[in-house]
Amino acid sequence: MPTVTYLEAIRQGLWEEMERDPAVFCIGEDIGIYGGAFKVTDGFIHHFGAERVIDTPIAESAIVGAAFGAALTGMRPVVEFQFIDFIVCAFNQITNMLAKSHYRWGAPAPVVLRGPCGGNVHGGPFHSQNPEMYFVHTPGLKVVAPGTAYDAKGLIKSAVRDNNPVIFLEHKYLYRRIKEELPEEEYTVPLGKARVARGGGDLSIITYAAMLHVALEAAEILAKEGIDVEVLDLRTLAPLDREAIAATVRKTSRAIILHEDTKTGGIAGEVTAVIHEECFDDLDGPVVRIAALDTPVPFSPPLEEVFLPKVADVVREARRLKTY
Amino acid sequence: MRNAQAIVDLRLEKPSFRVVEVVRDGEVRYEVRGKLDAPVPPIRESKYLSKQQCVEIYRWMLLNRRMEQALENLYKQGQVVGGVYFGLGQEACSCASAYALRKEDWLAPMIRNQGSLLVKGFPARDIMMQYMARAGSPTKGRDASSHFGDIKERNVCAPISMLGDLIPVLAGVALGARMQGRNIAVMTYIGDGGQSTGVFHEGLNFAAVQKLGLVLIVENNLWAYSTPTEMQFAVEDLATRAPGYGVPGVIVDGTDACQVYDAAHEACERARRGEGPTLIEAKMMRMKGHAIHDAAGYVPRELFEFWRKRDPIARFEKYLLEKKWLTPAENKKLIDDVEKELEADREAAVASPMPKPETAATGVYCEEGCHEIKLKYGPVKVAQRKDEGKPKESEAAVHLR
Ligand SMILES: Cc1ncc(C[n+]2csc(CCOP(=O)(O)OP(=O)(O)O)c2C)c(N)n1
Repeated sequence: MPTVTYLEAIRQGLWEEMERDPAVFCIGEDIGIYGGAFKVTDGFIHHFGAERVIDTPIAESAIVGAAFGAALTGMRPVVEFQFIDFIVCAFNQITNMLAKSHYRWGAPAPVVLRGPCGGNVHGGPFHSQNPEMYFVHTPGLKVVAPGTAYDAKGLIKSAVRDNNPVIFLEHKYLYRRIKEELPEEEYTVPLGKARVARGGGDLSIITYAAMLHVALEAAEILAKEGIDVEVLDLRTLAPLDREAIAATVRKTSRAIILHEDTKTGGIAGEVTAVIHEECFDDLDGPVVRIAALDTPVPFSPPLEEVFLPKVADVVREARRLKTY
Repeated sequence: MRNAQAIVDLRLEKPSFRVVEVVRDGEVRYEVRGKLDAPVPPIRESKYLSKQQCVEIYRWMLLNRRMEQALENLYKQGQVVGGVYFGLGQEACSCASAYALRKEDWLAPMIRNQGSLLVKGFPARDIMMQYMARAGSPTKGRDASSHFGDIKERNVCAPISMLGDLIPVLAGVALGARMQGRNIAVMTYIGDGGQSTGVFHEGLNFAAVQKLGLVLIVENNLWAYSTPTEMQFAVEDLATRAPGYGVPGVIVDGTDACQVYDAAHEACERARRGEGPTLIEAKMMRMKGHAIHDAAGYVPRELFEFWRKRDPIARFEKYLLEKKWLTPAENKKLIDDVEKELEADREAAVASPMPKPETAATGVYCEEGCHEIKLKYGPVKVAQRKDEGKPKESEAAVHLR
């Protein structure tokens, strides 16, 4: 089986979907001849033509609006945000036009909104953000955040096929850092389903995206101390997989929620509420949240280091929770 | 050609006055300066409309106005949920513009374009039911007023309240159609207020760059809620924005159905030739408040008088009678028919039940089996190259590794 990066997996997924369905097209800034700021669509314009790989003015509201308009005629647009930070420039189109159209007037909006998110690459306050919760809070949107190359490919394919607007968050720290062997044959990964990334009986870490790897590293360290950690990768944040969350907590009775997004209003609060609603009686200790500081993402490496959750934080909190 | 073009002005009169903010007797208010006693201009002969088409447009305008009167009555009877918005004085703009569209073309109305929705094939009862939040309304009680559409038959995109956002959406509709091998016209409206938004610029510029068949009607009705145009923009004519986008700009008297139609028709033809967008500025006045709750006390009364003499329906009626394109008897029958149609629609709308509470949580997402996404204009025209069968793994320099 060939070994590919997380970025390559997304490229392959998009490419395959464009091959499969001529209604799929890409639209965004510098995605054509240049191939995108991160080269996700490198070579696409030569193969699929400029009609289906459309370079636009710098106008996020226009791009998202036009994608929705094209979707009304039966197309399946995939919008690239050069950095996901710029998605807020199209906030109104996404939360008011796309998210509400099916509910209000029965018009599906099969639009994928994808782009690089996340920090740890010293991108500073405007090239490192994790904007998921603006959108998780909006009924009508789906929000996906893969943590592995396998899932990135399988989920982008499902996102393209979905009849709803899907925000697809690609963690740029993972783009070229993780590599996996992917099946030769075609596959998809369903939206809305979490995955047990590591089985364990003592404690659950519920996480997603780049923090999945922090959780897995912490789990290795904790295993040596006899703490058997289960890691649940949410993969999709909206709709949230309530059953999988309840199942892991019922199994281990202890839960840590770990995310790179800032703490206040982060999805950890929502997952905590789900745990209380579904399996409060199973808990042997308080639910623990580990998240980024409630600040903008700082630029300088020593500052960003403090900002981001780390393996040591997870190990410390896990030990504390285990003794509860 | 990336060339700016001269503004075409179809008007037969060019009213010239300004609204100024003054302090009088310790109170801040608006006053008009300028010539307000000019004679009423005639209707301009259309280059395109036949007798029958003129009468049809006249009928739509009448239906538009009478339906809004019916809505006002329904409101007074307590049947309406929320407010009512009127296009009084703007019927020519709504109806004659939408009349230039073909079946395959798209429309997205704004709040005052209820006449456009009638022309695009929605019965008046749909609009009535929307205002009364009934189960039978096009949105099943989920949204109000002109906020509905139809992607299957009528090709109408539902607006959202946020002004300006329809402009790129309609451009995208034209983009989708073009990918399927068709150049269509896509029409939407924006007010003298709404054109101040950033997305107006984004959308028009995008359409211009992509040469998409957007027909953008800027309804300059002098007031944006309570704000006069003098406080909204610093240019004389909004049509002069068009050359800044490399797009033709046209000015019409928005109370003259023939001018509106001719400009809209030419813009639609240009769209269908794949030559790109047109901006049409229609000058007129909003003859009521912003919505039913607003008595428009801030509008200087002389302005109402000036524009009341330019009433689009009365003038068009007179024009048709004088031309003998309509006899008084035919006119009476037409008015009676409109009344009868509206009465039947009103009855049907009032009889429609309220939505069932248990439907509130349904339909947020398009679930399996709920909609099939189908190409509207036929297969996508693919210019795909056959050589590179696979994406090449890229190791090129990138932003922030
Ligand atoms: C972006 C945005 N801001 C504010 C509003 C509230 N609002 C609704 S209508 C209106 C005035 C619109 O004036 P104009 O665009 O001139 O249209 P008109 O009502 O005159 O037809 C305002 C401020 C809105 N709908 N959208």
